[in-house]
Amino acid sequence: MRYRLCLPLAAGLACLPAYAVQYLSVEQVQKLAYPDATAYRAQDVALSLAQMQQVEKLAGLPARSVNWRVFGAYNGDKLLGYLVLDDVIGKFELISYAVALNPDASIRQVEILAYRESHGSEIRLPAWRRQFAGKSASTGGLTLGGGIANISGATLSASHLTDGVRRIAAIAQLVLKP
Amino acid sequence: MKKNLIASAVAATLLAAPFAASAGEAELLARIDKMAAEQEQLKAELKASLQKTAVIEQKQQELASAAAPAIAAATTPAPSAAIAASGPTTIIGGYGEINYNRPSKNASAAQTDVRRAVIGIEHRFDDKTKLVSEFEWEHAIASATDSGESAIEQLYVERQFGNGLRGKAGLFLIPAGLLNTNHEPTAYYGVERNFVETAIIPSTWREAGVGLSGDTDSGLAWDAGITTGFDLGKWDAASSDGRESPLGAIHQEGQLAKSRDLSVHGALNWRGVPGLLLGGSLFSGKVGHKTEGYTANDARVTMYDLHARYTPGLWDLAGVYARGQISNTAALNLTLVGNPTPVPKAFAGWYLQAAYQAYKADDYVLSPFVRYEQYNTAKSYEALPQGLGVAPQADEKVTTVGANLKVGEGVVLKADYQKFKEDKTRDRLNLGVGFSY
Repeated sequence: MRYRLCLPLAAGLACLPAYAVQYLSVEQVQKLAYPDATAYRAQDVALSLAQMQQVEKLAGLPARSVNWRVFGAYNGDKLLGYLVLDDVIGKFELISYAVALNPDASIRQVEILAYRESHGSEIRLPAWRRQFAGKSASTGGLTLGGGIANISGATLSASHLTDGVRRIAAIAQLVLKP
Repeated sequence: MKKNLIASAVAATLLAAPFAASAGEAELLARIDKMAAEQEQLKAELKASLQKTAVIEQKQQELASAAAPAIAAATTPAPSAAIAASGPTTIIGGYGEINYNRPSKNASAAQTDVRRAVIGIEHRFDDKTKLVSEFEWEHAIASATDSGESAIEQLYVERQFGNGLRGKAGLFLIPAGLLNTNHEPTAYYGVERNFVETAIIPSTWREAGVGLSGDTDSGLAWDAGITTGFDLGKWDAASSDGRESPLGAIHQEGQLAKSRDLSVHGALNWRGVPGLLLGGSLFSGKVGHKTEGYTANDARVTMYDLHARYTPGLWDLAGVYARGQISNTAALNLTLVGNPTPVPKAFAGWYLQAAYQAYKADDYVLSPFVRYEQYNTAKSYEALPQGLGVAPQADEKVTTVGANLKVGEGVVLKADYQKFKEDKTRDRLNLGVGFSY
């Protein structure tokens, strides 16, 4: 188990902001993922117990959360796709990332919003992230070593991010796909 | 809980009764009063600890639920809120390994060792500044009469600058080879670290100084720095240490390190193709430190390496070539004539390794591997007058075959067999357990 000591916690105070390289804000990711979008609408998802079980079956991972932060990207009334925001733990700290999905639940792109650890920031590399594009929960190929190449020296970050994306692909497949 | 306390108080009172009776009623009453006071105190303490537990549990839940940062109901996406996800300010990590070695031709030399136990503490001062530290014990017990060691393996502060550069100052790892900066037992194959990256690259190799790092979108990462270097004055020609690892015998590890001569280093690593890492490093510095009367004040250590790792699918292929040189040692070696271990001019080695993830079920991942390495800690010496020199060593060639069984992400069980071509008495079976968190 990892021990996370939050010193201010002992004093009952909020923790200090994370050690972070902020690469992108949410607005920047929105523009990057769907340059044609004229509007983003919050379409947060709350999974039912049955849906969580289905996600677990499809992704091979616990669904982890009931609530998911999802935006629908629209050009006028036309749905361009979805943007799902999430965080996973790298080795110790949170990686904030976004998965842009096409309306058919296939992955359009993966963007890193913030990475907080000293090592493993190679997951930001465009060439590595491009491996996700076009894949979905139904096509597969979303596991580390099985479609997504590992990054030596950044195994934990790469593996946890890949798991996170696979989970979101499963949620999209089950809940977002019309 | 409360009932239990009262019950025990009553039981204690009853047990004490025979004595109390003989000692008089007043004393008994005093005792009861005292117990009641103690009970009140216990109740208060219990309440306080329950409250504490609740707070901790609440915080843990927040963390466990991936700390989904409050992106205010998505109607007003606040990027800063997403980024400023509350994170820990102090993180404790650690790793360790316990190994068993059994020489196949000399079973009586079989040995079990708590090879190392390391506690790492990272502390974040603010969103751009942090401290990284690692404290290590080797061989279980460190005392005047034991052979263990206690060491500071890393102790540096790192600052991120606005332009994506990272600067660090303190005692940090030199970015050489594949293993040195990635040396947790869960990160490499085989019970023992490979010979090239222990005998030639003296991992865990750290120096004190300053460093700068950066990377580009094309996958190129670079490191550069100025640090302390080696101290050739530590060379002991009478011992075999220099033969085991020339640089390991003269490293300073941040301990009252001679700093008249500083060293420079640089490293480039390219990860432009997913799964592929190509890199190299160079380290160079003089090692005489202008010591008065010393015959090797112009001696210079230069160490470079080339490394590659490719992880297509379930394969994990790696190779390292490393070469070190110590220049201007002829005059020094002349003073050491007669000793078994003069200072080598060159030492080098390389290995190739292939691992395959053969089996995966639940939390268990079994990866057999094979590694072939060739290394020589005394490839050549500077020329000495006829008859005074020592002949260079032959290259040692080691084949290692074994497997790592990972249990979850943090635990690894290892077993392998090592076959030596030159010194066959070193053939051995190794078993080990390691962890990292």
